[in-house]
Amino acid sequence: MSQTPRRSTEAAEKSRRGARSHRITFESRSRAWRRHHEQMAVDSLHRLRQRPLSSLMTMLAIAIAMVLPASLWLALSSAQLLDNNLDDSARMTLYLDPALSESQAMDITDRVRGDSDIASTELITAAAGLESFQQRLGMSDALAMMDDNPLPATILVQPRSRDPDAAQTLTERLGKIEGVTDARLDMAWLERLRELSELGRRVVLAFGVLFALGVLLVVGNTIRLAVESRRQEIEVVTLIGATHAFVRRPFLYVGVWYGLGGGILALLLLTVGRRWLSAPIDMLASGFGSHFSLPGIGLGGSVLLLICSTLLGLVGAWLAVSRHLADISPR
Amino acid sequence: MAMIEFAHVGKRYGGRFEALADLNFSVERGEMVFLTGHSGAGKSSVLRLLMALERPSRGRISVAGHDITNLHVSQIPFYRRQIGVVYQNHQLLYDRSVFDNVALPLIIQGAAPQDARRRVHAALDKIGLLHREKALPIELSGGEQQRIGIARAVVTKPAMLLADEPTGNLDPQLSADIMRLFEDFNRIGTTVLLASHDLALIARLRHRVLKLRDGRLIGDEGAA
Repeated sequence: MSQTPRRSTEAAEKSRRGARSHRITFESRSRAWRRHHEQMAVDSLHRLRQRPLSSLMTMLAIAIAMVLPASLWLALSSAQLLDNNLDDSARMTLYLDPALSESQAMDITDRVRGDSDIASTELITAAAGLESFQQRLGMSDALAMMDDNPLPATILVQPRSRDPDAAQTLTERLGKIEGVTDARLDMAWLERLRELSELGRRVVLAFGVLFALGVLLVVGNTIRLAVESRRQEIEVVTLIGATHAFVRRPFLYVGVWYGLGGGILALLLLTVGRRWLSAPIDMLASGFGSHFSLPGIGLGGSVLLLICSTLLGLVGAWLAVSRHLADISPR
Repeated sequence: MAMIEFAHVGKRYGGRFEALADLNFSVERGEMVFLTGHSGAGKSSVLRLLMALERPSRGRISVAGHDITNLHVSQIPFYRRQIGVVYQNHQLLYDRSVFDNVALPLIIQGAAPQDARRRVHAALDKIGLLHREKALPIELSGGEQQRIGIARAVVTKPAMLLADEPTGNLDPQLSADIMRLFEDFNRIGTTVLLASHDLALIARLRHRVLKLRDGRLIGDEGAA
């Protein structure tokens, strides 16, 4: 009994010493945090490499989900439907009397250019019009058979205002100029184009959202299986004081790798697809005497696609792990 | 100051089954206490509440002066780091070496690698398994696995050690060895609470015994 006090002071002394050596500083903790990030990044990559086929299939599923909206967007932007300078095409064409001489046509052009409502004009003489027509359509033989040039001289007019109503009144006024047989502003065509462009934009957006959701589901489901297979490990580390962030970390990295890998595969698919389609498109275009080629996704687009796919992988993983963590919280 | 304090603690599962009813007891700092009773008496519930795996339906629990009854979810990990727990089924990670298993709490807490190595070695040395640090848990016997579990529980030098049937699957000789380890840790100031139904072993060890039946305390023997 007499040893009890000594034992307790000895115990207190030991526990004090223990507490001191046990202290973990903030720097050591932040270093440990970085170290754990690095370890988990490498470890999760290693886990993916251990099951290459299933990892590749998940990434391929992500890639396909990314390729569809991306290629749709590319196709639309190649048609310049998404281009904002669509408004520039709000110009009018003045058809001149074919009987006018070239100098008279120039006089009219100068007069039109003097109008304060007009930004610029461009005279296309009958001869120039014929030449470009021949070049563009490759129908030189057919046109050469005609005795006269059937094309009138035209003036392309770019109005200052972009307001459709103002353009309409301006067109009417220009039509009354002597020597101008007809003035045209193809509003209906413009409107239709704009509607089509809006439709295209919405279709791309809808597909983008749907396929993004698809990516989330693919990643979420894959991560859920990974969580399931490491359930015991999660339980153990949680029991000994791991935070949710600690538990989540390896899975978030798996999600990031899936997303990034899927993004890279998507870029690969886009490049291969473009190569594959470019030969027939070149042939088709040259048949019409035009130089049209499919646009590539470009550096900016590639980076954007990779960021999107990586973020989707991250979010999908986050959702999957959080659901599991909520399940094991104390009640 | 009391290390563990239960005040009118009740725990119901699913609204009907009453695992604990108005439980009151306290354990002083540096004490070693056995918690005993038949299976279903509430031993595991007491430990689960102390590990913040569950919340009491009624009453208040405090540990080292802190009320843990309504611990926020984000605080629970930090609370658990203050206690060491030894499980009957060891709860080891079987795809990692003995060293990695014991180092796990230190890694979670963010200890520096060289510091962690030193402490893991000290803990393994204490339980006499330093030479098996590279082995996988599956290569070890049940008693050795249990000692690894103990090493992992004490590697962070917690002020309180909880154990749920730590000798449940072991023969008497091994059980006595394991108990001696707990006594050693108690001797250096660690509060130890052990749930066990091995009455013969408990009787030999002469520590305070809390006896539970149907979720109530029916005996508190050998109290200081």
